Amino acid sequence: MSTDTNPTTSPATEPGRGPGTDPTTDPATDPVTAKGTPDTGAGERVRKGMRPDRQEPTLPTLGTVGMLRWGWRQLTSMRTALFLLLLLSIAAVPGSIFPQRNIDAGRVADYIAQNPASSPWLDKLGFFDVYASPWFSAIYLLLFVSLVGCIVPRTKVHLSALRSTPPRAPARLQRLDEHAEVTTTLSPDEALAAARAVLKRKRFRLHSHDATSVSAESGYLRETGNLLFHLALTGIIIGMAVGHLLGWRGDIILAEGDKFASSAGTYNTISPGPWVDTETLPPFVLSLDKLHVEFNETPGRSFGTPRLFDAQTTLQSSPGGPASSENVSVNHPITVDGADIFLLGNGYTPVITVRDATGAVLYREATPFLPQDGNYRSVGVIKVPSASPKQLGFTGFFLPTAEPSFTNGPVSIFPDTNNPEVALSVWEGNLFPGGAPQSVYTLNTDEMKQVTKADGSPTLIRLKPGQTYQLPGDRGSITFDSVKRFAGLSVRTDPGAPISLVSAILATLGLILGLTIKRRRVFVRVRPAGSGAAAGGSTPDGGLDSPAGAGGRPATVVTIGGLSKDSDPGLAAIVTAIAAGVPDRLAERTDRS
Amino acid sequence: MNLAANANAALYASMIVYTLAMLAFTWHLAARAPTVADSLATAGAVANEREGVLVGAGAPAPSERRSATPYAAGPGFEESIKSRQRGSIALMLTYLASALLVASVLMRGLAVGRPPWGNMFEFATAAAAAVGAAYSVLAKRNNWQWLGVFIVTPILLVLGLALTVLYTEAGELMPALKSYWLGIHVSVAFLAVAFFTLAFAIGLLYLVRLRREEKPPARPSFIESMPSSASLERTAYSLNMVAFILWTFTLIAGAIWAKQAWGAYWQWDPKEVWTFVIWTVYAAYMHGRATAGVDHRKSTYIALAGYVAVIINFTLVNLVSTFVGMHNYSGM
Repeated sequence: MSTDTNPTTSPATEPGRGPGTDPTTDPATDPVTAKGTPDTGAGERVRKGMRPDRQEPTLPTLGTVGMLRWGWRQLTSMRTALFLLLLLSIAAVPGSIFPQRNIDAGRVADYIAQNPASSPWLDKLGFFDVYASPWFSAIYLLLFVSLVGCIVPRTKVHLSALRSTPPRAPARLQRLDEHAEVTTTLSPDEALAAARAVLKRKRFRLHSHDATSVSAESGYLRETGNLLFHLALTGIIIGMAVGHLLGWRGDIILAEGDKFASSAGTYNTISPGPWVDTETLPPFVLSLDKLHVEFNETPGRSFGTPRLFDAQTTLQSSPGGPASSENVSVNHPITVDGADIFLLGNGYTPVITVRDATGAVLYREATPFLPQDGNYRSVGVIKVPSASPKQLGFTGFFLPTAEPSFTNGPVSIFPDTNNPEVALSVWEGNLFPGGAPQSVYTLNTDEMKQVTKADGSPTLIRLKPGQTYQLPGDRGSITFDSVKRFAGLSVRTDPGAPISLVSAILATLGLILGLTIKRRRVFVRVRPAGSGAAAGGSTPDGGLDSPAGAGGRPATVVTIGGLSKDSDPGLAAIVTAIAAGVPDRLAERTDRS
Repeated sequence: MNLAANANAALYASMIVYTLAMLAFTWHLAARAPTVADSLATAGAVANEREGVLVGAGAPAPSERRSATPYAAGPGFEESIKSRQRGSIALMLTYLASALLVASVLMRGLAVGRPPWGNMFEFATAAAAAVGAAYSVLAKRNNWQWLGVFIVTPILLVLGLALTVLYTEAGELMPALKSYWLGIHVSVAFLAVAFFTLAFAIGLLYLVRLRREEKPPARPSFIESMPSSASLERTAYSLNMVAFILWTFTLIAGAIWAKQAWGAYWQWDPKEVWTFVIWTVYAAYMHGRATAGVDHRKSTYIALAGYVAVIINFTLVNLVSTFVGMHNYSGM
């Protein structure tokens, strides 16, 4: 709890998030030795985050600038990042529990209808648009400000660390996490050269601050990876923003045999990004020749589950251009002019004919009915404004495989057209009260009333293909001619996607580097045997070293110390390797005490 | 369908062997505890003796040292031959059971001619196989015999649930799943979950071990024969780290696949939401672990919360209608 829980830390001494993600050490001087080796390199390390004393300090007056600085440090501190991450994860959850407008506006409407008491509040608080809500946006924006505020200074520090030399060897190498001592018959210079060779082979960066020691450091890629990861995360966000601003999507419901010419006005729904000029949409022409659909007919748990959706289409990249035959299926979009065309839905369009009392055709269209469940019980509406004396509206169901008895109402028991039937009720009156625009899939019955039979019971029209129903009174007839499939196609461009993808790959790379590479420092010091303790040392055990080489030959004592930021099983191996790399040893590596 | 039948036979066989392994691991743990007690008794006797001498000599009693970690096992823990033998038997049984389970998953894959994770049953089985395989590969070299019962028992539970509640006949895939990304995205997710699971079990044991180190119980148990809390925590961290990298890959691969299948790489579908939640929680854990001011116990709590999210993601999100989204083609 060194840094952040100490409210008395003034902004000037608050180091923020240090490199190697340890706020207790000064980033500029020491990214490695954060783990608590109190006296390595006296004077070199400044533990700014640590409380120098426990007495109550007099609080400096901060002033506006000071407060801003303090606030910025708080925001960019690691603890805040941690807190915001947790907050973000919690804030994301409601979006999976409540229906979301961006996924299915229909379900949101249903939910609001079913929960009239709570839903206005939920709606106001943005629970149906969680990922566009101010509170969710606030969290991730803060998180990214915090991220940028963290990586910019860290990048500076790291850039200078990349050019820096390893620091001077600390006085007492025996106190480091991993250490070893060997005695050799080599001269001090030769012993040091041997140690340098081993370190060089292991790709350490070397520097000798004096003639009797060498300092080595490796694992700079760890911080490079960390920074790359965090930088790439901002790249993903930038890609998302670009996609939002410059991308667009348009949805079409296209019945078999129909043709679609792309332009801003021809899509059923189109949602362009704010910077998209809808006059420049690619002008392709697409016709749906056939939609192949298969469902599992084997009884069992998977009965009725889809097996195949494949749209056979003819595509022209511009009106009058050369036509090519293309198949669009799930997982296999086609691309035209930078726009991808996806097959995202399907359903049925019963072809319905409505005639007046004289037999003249008032309405003949393949009308899409939208599937409501896995067995494609579909709802739809037929609006006949030209009917007289009053406008007629039909609403009801299309059932690809109707359960004949209707005991549980109109139900489909299989998604394919094994026993197709439409079940409709009929209304008359004003179809478009107030002339307001309305959905083609709903019937506004505010100014309509249901047509009843002679006995006053509501009419229920049940038709199989080819059948005709005579409407009561002189209202004419309705015929269910045939049924065709429709494909729900979605046309999308996302110019930000490649940016996000490249960033995501870089982020993964950075993550792997940042987590797996260890930042290590190794120091080697040599002294003639018998010269007592290590340089600068008054270590009590220093005198216990063997005073001279065996047989009176000149001998050198080599002391090796290694330091790593986190648990690092590989460090001991490196220290051992250096000890082994000093040849002609007189004594085996001494015990690690 | 012969292969599918064989796959089921192998599945049942692996459950039987896992059950035996679970019993053997329990038996092994039973053999570990008394050893500690014995060694503690010996150590205590020695300490008392010394204390007596020292007190007699007027020196301060070295009681501080004893109360700190009275029986931290660490490298000092001597495993009895009995316990070692039982551990080996349990491990052997686990190898066999995991091999049978992996074989079952492979045969099912061959039977249906696609990656064998197209519905919830296959999903649960394959995830259990990944956990079993990961444990089997890592157990020997790390001496994880003490961990076995905490891994094998959940595997058995998952397999039991898969067979009783989720069972689906081997069949063809739904169109949305017909993509090579199914092999990449989902298999890496399994691997990540396997590592998360190991880390979760070790994380829980770490908390128990730490508590008992801080407040030594009256009687030692097998807990005291495990590696020290610090070592357990490091192991859990390493596993979580691997899992986090794999999960990051899962997330990205899923986004790429989503772009291909649904036209947008991220739409906050419930499965995506929970994948993201898991990712952020574990990201918070990694940050907590790297922040000196946050102690490891707290960051472990975050990791455990992350695992709860993993479980929710693999169960509730697939099965409960509240979470209806585009990933609901699990054959349930």
